[in-house]
Amino acid sequence: MTATIVGTRLTVLDGGTSYHAFAIGDDSLGRWYDRRLYVEAADADALADSAVVVVPCRLNPDWLAAHADLLIDVLRRGDTLVVMGETEPERWLPDADQTPVPTNFWWWLDPEAELGLTVGAATHGLYRYLSLADAIWHYHGHFQVPPGAVSVIDAPEGGSVLVDDRASWPGRLLLTSLDPFYHHGSFFMPAASRFLRGFCRWLGDGLPD
Amino acid sequence: MSARLAYLSPRRGRRAPFDDLAPPHTTVESVHEADLATLPPDACQALLVPMHIDQRRFAGNAAWIDAFFRAGGTLVFNGLLAYPFRPELRIFEPIQRPGLSALHVAVDQSHPVWHGVDAADLTFRRGVAGFYGRGANPPPEGARIVGTLARGRVPVDWEWAVPGGGRLLMHAGNDLWMYARDDTSAAALTPQLLSWCAHGRARDAA
Repeated sequence: MTATIVGTRLTVLDGGTSYHAFAIGDDSLGRWYDRRLYVEAADADALADSAVVVVPCRLNPDWLAAHADLLIDVLRRGDTLVVMGETEPERWLPDADQTPVPTNFWWWLDPEAELGLTVGAATHGLYRYLSLADAIWHYHGHFQVPPGAVSVIDAPEGGSVLVDDRASWPGRLLLTSLDPFYHHGSFFMPAASRFLRGFCRWLGDGLPD
Repeated sequence: MSARLAYLSPRRGRRAPFDDLAPPHTTVESVHEADLATLPPDACQALLVPMHIDQRRFAGNAAWIDAFFRAGGTLVFNGLLAYPFRPELRIFEPIQRPGLSALHVAVDQSHPVWHGVDAADLTFRRGVAGFYGRGANPPPEGARIVGTLARGRVPVDWEWAVPGGGRLLMHAGNDLWMYARDDTSAAALTPQLLSWCAHGRARDAA
């Protein structure tokens, strides 16, 4: 199953935004990455030794579209790419089939309402680090689940807001429409902070099953 | 007198989200964040900076920003300051574990940008608080505090006459123009902001 990545490099890209600065720079999340790489310094050499590359939410989609080859190469060579919400992967990542949904900031004002996200693969390793409740704030879209890939969190419309795909590429693709870096780094959504805490700990531990 | 305002866009080819709200004889130009330094610093009366920019890159233009202020320019900066672009500025300070009362906005309506804007319409959007701001970019000495949170303790909005010329309007939260299409008194904020930018202190008076 998953190759251990302990001792190899986990790189998180940094788009220079305020929320990247505050979320990636938040020491309380623990030492979950080896290298924080400002996008202006990101090239093939800089990413060559990374076993895991994280594209945090809301990294500028124009930059990603212009540098897609760098990131696709991570998957082609057998390493892991984590792509988070509001990065428009459907523009730059082959077969990332996202259906955007209107963001419902207000669903919880109705005490009867639910956001509708549900547990997909209940035995997925991420659930030892966080719970479904930590993923509940709002979401911006959902993805088709490719054959052989796993939905970690299902969207009510069908599809997935967090796909773990070890089938489509030589490497592993984690694709989510959730945007916890943005909210945590904007001090604006306690659930997103809990999600990020668990998610980063899971990444730092080497994405165990 | 015509005025020229610039919107600093993190996305190439996108218009300013408020360019239809500019006052007469005022043009709003969208400038990509990578191209800022190609703009002559005295070309525009005002530069409006949204929350989603690459602040690290923006702060790398500190010399350009200084020249812009010296030419009498008005800078409207939205967002949580992570990369100070002048020595007088400091990074964002969040309110720790804000309760609802800490998120209540108070504004000085005598400021032309906030004239007639009911603070409650800034505090709540469809009953939800927190969009306007959740902390402050600490003001330099001499800044005029215009908007506060937490019963006056947290200066979320301030205006500062920059030493040497120009003025900085700081808003430590989501873009001020997010209210432009609201069906409340807060909708007035955006056109008033653009008028203030266009008709503020003349460049040669700086």
